Amino acid sequence: MSGFPLRTDVLAHAIAAGQLSAAEALAQSIARIEATDDRVNAFTARTFERARREAADIDARRARGETLPPLAGVPYAVKNLFDIEGEVTLAGSKINRDDPPARTDAVLVQRMRAAGAVLVGALNMDEYAYGFTTENSHHGPTRNPHDLTRSAGGSSGGSGAAVAAAQVNLSLGSDTNGSIRVPSSLCGVWGLKPTFGRLSRRGSYPFVHSIDHLGPFADSVEGLALSYDALQYPDTQDPGCHARAVQAVLPSLTHGVAGLRIGVLGGYFEEWATAPARAAVQAVARALGARDEVLWPNAAEARAAAFIVTAGEGGSLHLNHLRQRADDAEPLSVDRFIAGALQPAAWTTRAQRFRRVYRDQVNALFKDWDVLLAPATPFAAPVLGTEWVEINGERLPCRPSVGLLTQPVSFAGCPVVAAPLWPGGEAGPLPIGVQIIAAPWREDLALRAAHVLQAAGVARLKETTL
Amino acid sequence: MSDDDMLAYVRASARLLGLPLDEARAARVAGHLQRTAALAALLDRMDLAVEDEPAEIYCPARPVPGASA
Repeated sequence: MSGFPLRTDVLAHAIAAGQLSAAEALAQSIARIEATDDRVNAFTARTFERARREAADIDARRARGETLPPLAGVPYAVKNLFDIEGEVTLAGSKINRDDPPARTDAVLVQRMRAAGAVLVGALNMDEYAYGFTTENSHHGPTRNPHDLTRSAGGSSGGSGAAVAAAQVNLSLGSDTNGSIRVPSSLCGVWGLKPTFGRLSRRGSYPFVHSIDHLGPFADSVEGLALSYDALQYPDTQDPGCHARAVQAVLPSLTHGVAGLRIGVLGGYFEEWATAPARAAVQAVARALGARDEVLWPNAAEARAAAFIVTAGEGGSLHLNHLRQRADDAEPLSVDRFIAGALQPAAWTTRAQRFRRVYRDQVNALFKDWDVLLAPATPFAAPVLGTEWVEINGERLPCRPSVGLLTQPVSFAGCPVVAAPLWPGGEAGPLPIGVQIIAAPWREDLALRAAHVLQAAGVARLKETTL
Repeated sequence: MSDDDMLAYVRASARLLGLPLDEARAARVAGHLQRTAALAALLDRMDLAVEDEPAEIYCPARPVPGASA
């Protein structure tokens, strides 16, 4: 079976118009999952019975003449750290298999359901989100749909792969240090990491409370915008949800980039990018008319601080697991969790103090710029099991290096769209994403630029050979 | 810090936290912590003023009086 399903907005329109039923759209998604997932390994649970009920409800509402919500009948799946009623929230772990099933859906799953989307399952990830490659020893690695020998990225690897493999139109993931943008980059799909504090995290399994973000993956910019608008819900019960109003992006999506000040990040973001990653950024810059190089403040220090806060908070969160069940933990990350638990508090506190200063520096930068561009990953998808990579002559450990270019940006909390580029050269047929970065709370600007790239054919999904 | 000193730190702090570590794991953890120490040194070189407070999430009660919803 091959071929892309209808794009999110086209599919939703077709269902609303009665050209296709939600049940038929679901059947196509299920058939695609069953035909491909033994090779991709994106799914850890399939919720087809629930999906059939949700699709039937959509079709019944249409039959009654109701106006359907914006994502009515669109199949999607979620990283398995989101609570799904009746399912155990694994967060990529073996340890959590002993937990009781979730009693209710996570807030964002509730939002997707209210928007009419149809949930087909839960998706693979790095254990407790501490990784960039979804090499999960308990469930097996998620394989890149464009080359099954390679990583899909992580930690939301299943979320990126499921969209790339055309199993679903949309998925949800989390991003602490790059876990939406990295799989988007390596799988060649659209991803949105919203502003820190924009979307509710209630009902998701945390990793690093002070940096965790949630957000969507999509087959199109319209898919990102539709799902992002549906997900917005100022949640006073989530202490990390700062948003107090819905700021819809769909109305301005096609407004173009005329008048926007768009720059290309140099310095650190060039230094740690391979030639194809730089070529991807240049292609985007040409399409958006961006010519000026911009220096992001203290990027290396921000990456260091993000690393330290992540290790400290993550290690502390899982201290009891590390004490009692370390042998059941992921071998690829358990020692890093322990190191984080043991690191001096002075390091973590200083990193958080630096973050306040850094925030002001980044916000000052956006007085002069509306949108900034950088590679999402230093390189294209590595072969699974790769231990070392070389970036511009420097030999580095592969797994942590995948996030070199995403960590400084999420530590600032800026919204980022990851756009799928296909730069060729050393990347061959593989994609590399470009980060379209805007000031906090300006997702609309990043999405406007993304829409221009999609309309120009510069950034797009490509069909796999699955 | 030397590798031996880091290993001693790992053993001592693990005992303090009640974290059992065998020798092989302690050595791997010490290796990770050496890499984190290099990153921490990068931040040590930053000038931070005494009034530079940590980035915050904590708020004692919401809504904050006088703030818009």
